[in-house]
Amino acid sequence: MDTNSTFDLTRDKRLWRIEFSAMASPCEILCETEDLDFARALGAYAAAEARRIDEKFSRYKADSVVAAMLESRGRSITVDDETAKLLDYGEMLWRVSEGRFDLTSGILRHAWQFEEATQAPDPQRIPELMRYVGWQRLQWAPPVLTLPAGMEVDFGGIGKEYAVDRVADWAARESGDPVLVNFGGDLRCTGAAPASGAWQVGIESLAKPGQPAKRIELTSGALATSGDARRAIVIDGKRYGHILDARTGWPAPGAPRSITVAAPTCSQAGSFSTLAMLHGADAEAFLRAENLRYWLLR
Amino acid sequence: MQLKKKPIGATLAAATCSLLGSLPAAPAAAQEAKDWSIDTSLLYYGEDNGRVEDVSLMATIRRIFDEDRSLNATLTVDSLTGATPNGAVPANVPQTFTGPSGGGGYTVEPGEQPLDTTFLDTRTALSLSWQQAAGNATRWSVGFSGSDEYDYLHLGVDARLERDFNMRNTTAFVGLAYGQDDIKPVGGTPIGLSPMAGEVEDEDGDDDGDDRGRESEDSKDVADVLIGVTQVLSRRSLLEVAYSYGQSDGYLTDPYKILSVVDPVTGVPAASTEEGIPYLYLYEKRPDSRTKQSLFAEWRYALDRDSFALNFRFMDDDWGVQSQTAEARYRWNINDRSYLEPHLRWYTQSAADFYRTVLFAGDALPEFASADYRLADLDAYTIGAKYGLHTDHGEFSVRLEYYQQSPTESPGSAVGDLANLDLTPDMKAVIVQFGYQFDF
Repeated sequence: MDTNSTFDLTRDKRLWRIEFSAMASPCEILCETEDLDFARALGAYAAAEARRIDEKFSRYKADSVVAAMLESRGRSITVDDETAKLLDYGEMLWRVSEGRFDLTSGILRHAWQFEEATQAPDPQRIPELMRYVGWQRLQWAPPVLTLPAGMEVDFGGIGKEYAVDRVADWAARESGDPVLVNFGGDLRCTGAAPASGAWQVGIESLAKPGQPAKRIELTSGALATSGDARRAIVIDGKRYGHILDARTGWPAPGAPRSITVAAPTCSQAGSFSTLAMLHGADAEAFLRAENLRYWLLR
Repeated sequence: MQLKKKPIGATLAAATCSLLGSLPAAPAAAQEAKDWSIDTSLLYYGEDNGRVEDVSLMATIRRIFDEDRSLNATLTVDSLTGATPNGAVPANVPQTFTGPSGGGGYTVEPGEQPLDTTFLDTRTALSLSWQQAAGNATRWSVGFSGSDEYDYLHLGVDARLERDFNMRNTTAFVGLAYGQDDIKPVGGTPIGLSPMAGEVEDEDGDDDGDDRGRESEDSKDVADVLIGVTQVLSRRSLLEVAYSYGQSDGYLTDPYKILSVVDPVTGVPAASTEEGIPYLYLYEKRPDSRTKQSLFAEWRYALDRDSFALNFRFMDDDWGVQSQTAEARYRWNINDRSYLEPHLRWYTQSAADFYRTVLFAGDALPEFASADYRLADLDAYTIGAKYGLHTDHGEFSVRLEYYQQSPTESPGSAVGDLANLDLTPDMKAVIVQFGYQFDF
């Protein structure tokens, strides 16, 4: 077996639990089935698919699609079908968010060091980097992408949810048994309802990490959470979340700490929760106007 | 100012279909789990022939603090009325009995089963329990219970520990319970196997009637140990096996129960030497300790739509009572919102060693004796069904059951006149229960 598709499979009461690590997240799939072959095939597919997507769109892999874009330095490149679909999706999000969401905003990480988080960004650095942010600066005529030199495309904001949907769709095609695909808290269920009636999903408490603040019962569809619970900078009592408005290079003021949205697919749920964060103080008004079921922690 | 914008949901849904190359997915269904749950019920239990009637109100409130901690509190109020067999057998003559405090006597017509009509009580019971997980595979709970009647006070504590093994396919549990009951019968606890006194003037003027040789109160202790295991057999089925051991010590006699003393040939009630009461009745007397063991097994099975459970219990005690209970429930899930659950229960027990339907005049007094039908050789069955309806405002349920109990007299009891009388009449009862449960 390909080492890319290794995973742990354990029995937990009526469930098979598939676990592996990918996309910088713990990945877990719960599967209520008597069909061990299906559980094994699902684990193998999920682990391989998550790692494939991770590597294909990684900034850090020399042979990734993203690396090829970086190296194009203003030359037009032709992308494969899957990359084209993700670029289309990113363009749609940029359009409907009126520029708040932008696949080219990843470069702002050079100003915002969320990982070792004590310093405000250099006020000079953001305007410098903002010259390389903006979907309107590139040319996307599928399947040909022309990315000006110095600009980057980052699929980090949509890749994990896309992987969850790919695995959930595969599971639904192969079996009607209840399956819950959970990649680092972004999740989707397929098949019949589990024997307990619903999948129990906890939303992490802000005060007590690791403890659920709310418990959600999911019987159909997906849940995705965006927030700064784990990644934020606090300077002089002011909190800066890691979800940046691509129009300003700063987090949207007044954004909640965490937003969980329910939607038919994980991609939709993740897009709604990210866009809601980008609406800052208006996050709730945005979610209400979209007629969504959501849970918000401030 | 925020501009009013068109919702983006439809655009996003269409883009997702083309991203995933799939048809639109089913809508999401998610709701926040509720932290509070309230379960209430109103139960009516009625025995035939004017015997016991119970109206019971119960409310349980449950608070879930997070996935693995919860508090339960249950309050039950029972209102019992009616008459209960006093232990004496019917006779071909009218029989007069004394009330527990020497006053409040009653007379029973020839051929009728003697029932104590002074039976009336209100019981209030409260129980509290706290459940908590300790790590991924262990759970424990502790509880307190108390109940109060005018002549009875129960206080108890219990604890339970559960642990999962074998990738959570096996759960082992152990439980401990200890209770102490204080009994303060009206007129005190009579001396076992002493004759029932006649209706007399309250000579010492303390308004407690005949209190000769009586203790004003007594008590008993009950300790139980339970060990068991639940095993997942397949995705559909589960087996639970449990063993329990119980030890009761103290006053285990029923202070209101008596035995008839009859002529061993004619079956006619023996005359009393007491003033104010024509026939002789002796207060019952039971041993002051009882050890019970029971073995329980339940098999639960989930079908595609429905489910059922079968269980069996075998109980054995050192009073000579052995019982077997078999029970079956089938849950028919009519649709997403309603279910019907038929229920059948069968019970049989052998008589306690000291059970005597009657005592014979002239025989030596036994060490212990009771004519309580609950210690007789008896068979019982219950047949019924429960209907439940889930609504947006909670679950409503109604349960209807019919119960029949057939005790058998001790061998050789039906002498003379008694041969033509029903010494241990059957008892029939109905149970109606309304329930309402909701979360918030």
